[in-house]
Amino acid sequence: MTILGTAFGMVFYLLQAVSGESGYAQNGEFEDAELDDYSFSCYSQLEVDGTQHLLTCAFDDPDVNSTNLEFEICGALLNVKCLTFDKLQEMYFIKTKKFLLIGDSEIHVKLGGKNITSKKLNIVEIVKPEAPFDIRVIYRKGANDFLVTFNTSHSQKKYVKELMHEVAYRQEKNENDWMHVNLSSTKLTLLQRKLQPDAMYEIKVRSIPNANYFQGFWSEWSPTFHFRTPEITGGKMDPVLLTISILSFFSVALMVILACALWKKRIKPIVWPSLPDHKKTLEQLCKKPKKNLNVSFNPESFLDCQIHKVDGIQARDEAESFLQDTSPSQLDESEKRRLGGGMQGPTWPSEHAAITPKAFRGDSPFGCLAGSISMCEALVQPSSRSPDCGESGKNGPHVYQGLLLGPGTTNSTVPTPSPFQSGILTLNPTAQGQPVLTSLGSSQEEAYVTMSSFYQNQ
Amino acid sequence: MFHVSFRYIFGIPPLILVLLPVTSSDCDIEGKDGREYQHVLMISINDLLDTMIKNRTNCPNNEPKVLKKHACDDNKEGMFLYRAARKLKQFVKVNNSEDFNLHLSRVSQGTLQLLNCTPKEDNKSVKEQRKQKSLCSLGILLQKIKTCWNKILRGSKEH
Repeated sequence: MTILGTAFGMVFYLLQAVSGESGYAQNGEFEDAELDDYSFSCYSQLEVDGTQHLLTCAFDDPDVNSTNLEFEICGALLNVKCLTFDKLQEMYFIKTKKFLLIGDSEIHVKLGGKNITSKKLNIVEIVKPEAPFDIRVIYRKGANDFLVTFNTSHSQKKYVKELMHEVAYRQEKNENDWMHVNLSSTKLTLLQRKLQPDAMYEIKVRSIPNANYFQGFWSEWSPTFHFRTPEITGGKMDPVLLTISILSFFSVALMVILACALWKKRIKPIVWPSLPDHKKTLEQLCKKPKKNLNVSFNPESFLDCQIHKVDGIQARDEAESFLQDTSPSQLDESEKRRLGGGMQGPTWPSEHAAITPKAFRGDSPFGCLAGSISMCEALVQPSSRSPDCGESGKNGPHVYQGLLLGPGTTNSTVPTPSPFQSGILTLNPTAQGQPVLTSLGSSQEEAYVTMSSFYQNQ
Repeated sequence: MFHVSFRYIFGIPPLILVLLPVTSSDCDIEGKDGREYQHVLMISINDLLDTMIKNRTNCPNNEPKVLKKHACDDNKEGMFLYRAARKLKQFVKVNNSEDFNLHLSRVSQGTLQLLNCTPKEDNKSVKEQRKQKSLCSLGILLQKIKTCWNKILRGSKEH
């Protein structure tokens, strides 16, 4: 039994040694290394030259000694069983029309006719399209965008017609900052607002089969196209608009300020004229340009003036002659003669006092001429105080006290003036020596001097 | 009783065996989704038809008898395509251009690749076939193949 067991053990040991299995690490490593050395990859290009297709294979390890190695493809071929690859440097390729394009093929790597390694693949699943070309970028000012167009040779092909494209663009100064856009057509629109103004950009595109039936790898990148984005065109227009808007704003503001400032004095009287105040109107009328003139109907302001009594008879006669006389020129002359020389100095009031009461017809010497007076004055105080000539002066306006003959002939009732009432009527200072009495020389129609006419003259 | 059972045992099974081929399809069609047909076969068929239209002579309206035998009947589309594909090989000639012959071969071989048929074509039918050298027959055959493929694809979409 022991002899038998030993014999069996030796037999098994010898069998193991002869078979050369994986117990020997050195051999195992060598075999694994051989398989890895000859791994390869392939890609196909359909209709690359007319109707001819191209299949290209290469070893993954560039250090492989491919001196006596051959590539062969079998299966899915038309009218032939297998085809042998051509070799160009380290690349193996075959250019043929005889691809069936349906079903799997097998690619064998042979060394001296002996098959080293094989790989099963489908030619329609390793398609590498041709690189796109003629990429262009056109700026559309109206649309504020960039139209990117490119061309591909596959649009004219029969088999691989449908592709997926990838457009990549970046600003030249930003390296490795590519933006990617996928599209199935050959046109792309880039919005201007998404790009930096006045910057240089570069753009490129590549393609891949759209995986409907044909599948494969990305093509090579197209040649890069450079374009510059325009400056913001809105900036040129803004200064003009800005200037106009600023000017208009300031003009409107100025108008508002002026309107507020001149509202009360200028604008409101025109827009909303106030009703004339009798007292104020008279004051304005009697207003004289001289600063020191004290114009007032207040009797207290006449305390310094010398008041002369009026000769009632003479005044009446004069008034009657005046009323009967229809020629205003004669009357003017007569008035001028009477009043011409005596209009100066303190004596003038006395003469005037002589004239005015004549028209009073025997009424109170301090009354008003009835019918011809539209404006009535108060009486003169019977004082002999000298008038304040400093104020009036020779050429200044004349102060009348007592009655004043108006140009009109109305029979309006005249209020009886009280002896202590006095009113001051300033003459029109424009004509020296021609007080308001010259209005007596004018026509009877002009004799009426109303408050409103005074206000208008003012 | 014994005679009756004897009929049923030896009579009916052969009858079933004879009738089964009539109802069942002999071919399995792999490319029913239509991808291979649309992207490869149809391109070659259209190329061939375009070439024949350019070089076409006056063709008779009647269909050749050989072609009348086989039709793309229901449940027999695969067999029809199988036979039509094999017929196409007969039209490959030296006189044709290389591209023309390659398209013919692509349609024929591609169709056969997509079909998984048990060859029912016996030698008798092969002998009876005459080489169809007429382009008119080829045109008709190609049209029939095209129609049959469309029918298969329509049927697969409905299901």
